[in-house]
Amino acid sequence: MILIQHLTFSYGDGTFRLRIPELTFESGRSTVIVGPSGSGKTTLLNLIAGILPGAGGEVNVGEFKVHGLDENARRLFRLRNVGQVFQDFQLIDYLNVLDNVLLPCRIHPSVSVTKQLRERGRSLLQSVEMSAFEHRSVTQLSQGERQRVAICRALLLSPRIVLADEPTGNLDPVNAERIVELLLSETERSGATLIMVTHDHSLLKYFDRVIPFEQFLERRGVDKASGGAS
Amino acid sequence: MKNALYLAWRSLAWHRGRSVTILLSLAITIWLPITVRMVLDQFRREISERANATPLVLGARGSRIDLVLHALYFDSLPPAETTMAEMEPVNELSAASAPAVAIPLHVRYRTQSRPGIEGFVIVGTSPEYLEFRNLHIASGRMAGLLGECVVGANVAQRMQLRPGDSLLSAPRNAFNLASDYPLKMSVVGILSAAHSPDDDAVFTDIRTTWVIDGIGHGHQNLNPQTDSELLLKSDAESGSVTANAAVLPYTEITPANIDSFHFHGEPSTFPLTAIIVVPETDKARAQIMGRYLSSNATTQCLKPPEVIDELLSIVFRIEQLAWICSVAAGLVTSLLLGLVVNLSMRLRATEMQTMFRLGCSRLTIAMLHGAEILLLLLGATTLASAAALFTLHFAARVLRSMLF
Repeated sequence: MILIQHLTFSYGDGTFRLRIPELTFESGRSTVIVGPSGSGKTTLLNLIAGILPGAGGEVNVGEFKVHGLDENARRLFRLRNVGQVFQDFQLIDYLNVLDNVLLPCRIHPSVSVTKQLRERGRSLLQSVEMSAFEHRSVTQLSQGERQRVAICRALLLSPRIVLADEPTGNLDPVNAERIVELLLSETERSGATLIMVTHDHSLLKYFDRVIPFEQFLERRGVDKASGGAS
Repeated sequence: MKNALYLAWRSLAWHRGRSVTILLSLAITIWLPITVRMVLDQFRREISERANATPLVLGARGSRIDLVLHALYFDSLPPAETTMAEMEPVNELSAASAPAVAIPLHVRYRTQSRPGIEGFVIVGTSPEYLEFRNLHIASGRMAGLLGECVVGANVAQRMQLRPGDSLLSAPRNAFNLASDYPLKMSVVGILSAAHSPDDDAVFTDIRTTWVIDGIGHGHQNLNPQTDSELLLKSDAESGSVTANAAVLPYTEITPANIDSFHFHGEPSTFPLTAIIVVPETDKARAQIMGRYLSSNATTQCLKPPEVIDELLSIVFRIEQLAWICSVAAGLVTSLLLGLVVNLSMRLRATEMQTMFRLGCSRLTIAMLHGAEILLLLLGATTLASAAALFTLHFAARVLRSMLF
């Protein structure tokens, strides 16, 4: 379970201040966060992943108190427990499809690219119907294909949490639904907790839970927080 | 590190234009000083070895370096010719109290060139030269008769020569009909490779080069009964005849005409380009040197190692200049490499941000950059080493031809 309590975070200029009194995410369930641009959705994902250090409050992910970890420990926590899918895919151009999927192993301090992991990568690609593109450069793929590769990369090390930051932002409605279904089926199969951020309200129906996010944002000293979400 | 190297390799392969440019820039920067050092070391070693193995050189006064280089490498012409008469003092000293061997050299002609093959130098000398340079016959036999020659290993290889073949000397002036005629020489032996300038030379008896020079020649016997069209003047009383220009000298020395060959003039006046003197003792060396110390002597006696040291001091200055250029080039390349790496890091900021967000440590990211630089340096060093060895193979000869 992910438990966030009394979390506050602001950027340097003070115009943006996130304040979450309490927020929980059940293990193995899918949650979608919606809200306007700049409402702090991505910031929340970065705080859960440990990319940003919390300024105050607690971010507890299972037994990990992410808020209390130093940068190196947060990095290891992220590498071992979190799979991330980004809006703009962020694939590495100079690696082929399979190597992009295997990237988390190549940057992992204690995991090496074994035959089993290669097979796992191939199996993930097969599950998203991308096995024929295994050796192709990612620059030759369509947007939908690239996002599928990014999802395989996020799932490679069987993370406990999958954070998807507007993964359908660049996709047409048909491909967007396919990507969401894929994310849901893959996380359901591995038992991972899925937290997805989106603007697209047509996708909300696929998720166990929907969190409207603007309630947590304070702008220019105006407090819009109204307590915990459900 | 294995993963960092893999990712670095993939990145370099993807950005191959940039990688090749950096690789070549680095390789040239590394290659230049290495090659200069290696080539000059080899040159220094090679030239010193041959100079140290040549005790004394006699020749006409003039440029010391030209004379010694001529005697050692046959490449440049000496300042002036000397004569056979200069052999005499050495022979006299040798007979008296200073045992020494005088080896004549007459090196003015080359063989005729062929398409793609330049003519090789024809060295007229005595059999002692081959013994002195420790040159051995690989096939065939030593040249014994007028018009015979033995060829160095490179000459044989490049001109595809075997014993029994023949070689033509090149006329010095193709437009002067009164000048020397090409002489067809028969190849009777091939020398083993000596890895020295001797491999690129054709060795013949010194009299054969005098034949090429026109001092000696052969032609049909003339007497008062000879066809009058060949005679300019005939004195029936004295029996003397004077041939006219219609009598052509033989251009090949064969068993049939060898007896007709003869030399005009006093043998002591016959030309030499240099004389190598090999004293058997230090005392003999001192006595021979002393014989030529007089400032008004027309001949100089030189110790090749001393002259070569003078030459090497010039080479050392060239090396210093090359080093300064190399350091400057290295500095510029390093600065450019720094700029390229810096710009590359900026261009790849998103990629590095992705890696960081996935959980990659800053150390690993630094290792990725380091691995790329390492691979480029390794590649450049390998390329530069291979290029240096390749250059070394050809450079000594090129450098020698540039310097002499």
